[in-house]
Amino acid sequence: MELREFFSEDVINLDIQGETKDSILKELITLLELNEKSEGILYKMLKRRENLGSTGIGKSIAIPHCRSLVVNRLRVAFGRKKTGIDFKAIDDRPVSFFFLIVAPPLEVSNQYLPVLGKIAQLCRESDVPDRLAKIETPAEFLELLDEKSV
Amino acid sequence: MHPQLEILLELQDLKAQKREMEEVADESSREIERKVFRVELEDAIAHLQAKIVEMEATLEPDVMNRYRPIADARERAVTPVLDGVCYGCFMAVPTASVRTNEELRWCENCGSFVYFVD
Repeated sequence: MELREFFSEDVINLDIQGETKDSILKELITLLELNEKSEGILYKMLKRRENLGSTGIGKSIAIPHCRSLVVNRLRVAFGRKKTGIDFKAIDDRPVSFFFLIVAPPLEVSNQYLPVLGKIAQLCRESDVPDRLAKIETPAEFLELLDEKSV
Repeated sequence: MHPQLEILLELQDLKAQKREMEEVADESSREIERKVFRVELEDAIAHLQAKIVEMEATLEPDVMNRYRPIADARERAVTPVLDGVCYGCFMAVPTASVRTNEELRWCENCGSFVYFVD
C-alpha cells in the first residue's frame, strides 16, 4: 500500500483561499464532496480534534484527521496556502501544507493508521516542504508521491 | 437529517476519537497521537469523555432508553448502512424500510440506530 493510491487530482487544491484555521478546514472538507450536513458534522469533529492539540506537526505541515461515520471509506485531501497561516503548530511557524485524512469508525481494511503514519513519514523527509512549495499542478503533487514511494 | 440522529452521529464519532487515544485501541494509534502530534492523552480522553456526557444529556428520553443499553453493551450505538446492509450485524435492512436520515430508525435485527451513508 502506498500513499499515491489514495490521492487523485480532484482532492488537491494548491491555492487554498482561507485565511484562518477554521476556513481552511472547511475548504479542505469541500474537496471530499460530501453533502452539506455531513460536511458540518465532519467540520465539528476536525475542530474537536484540533482542540485536543494542533495537528500542525512543524515544517509548515499540518495533518488534520479524524474518524467519522459520514464517510464510507478512507478519504484524503491535500491543500496548500503558500503564504501560510497560524495553525498553532508544534514549532509555532505558519502552516502552508495540509493533509486531510478521514476514515469511518468501522474500517474493514484498516487503512487509517497506516496512511496517517505514511503521511507523517513523508513529511519528515527534509526536502518535502520545499518540493510541496514548488509544485505547480495536482499532477506534480501525485508525481512527488510516486517518486517518494511512501 | 433528524436532529437526534445528528447528535447520535456526533456521539459515535467522539467515542471513536476517544478510542483512538485509549489503551484499548491499537497501540500505534496512541503512539502517533502522542509522538507525532504531542497530544496529552489523559487530558484528551478526559476532555472527550466530558463532551460525550454533555451530548448524551441532550438525547430525548425515548432515544436515550434505546441508546443506553446498546451503547453500554457494544459501544457502537449507531451503525452505517451501506448498500442496504447494516454494518452492525451485516444483515440486509428490509427494502420496505424508508432509507432516509430524516427519520430516526434502527435495525430490526441488531437494534442499532442506523445511518444511511451516501
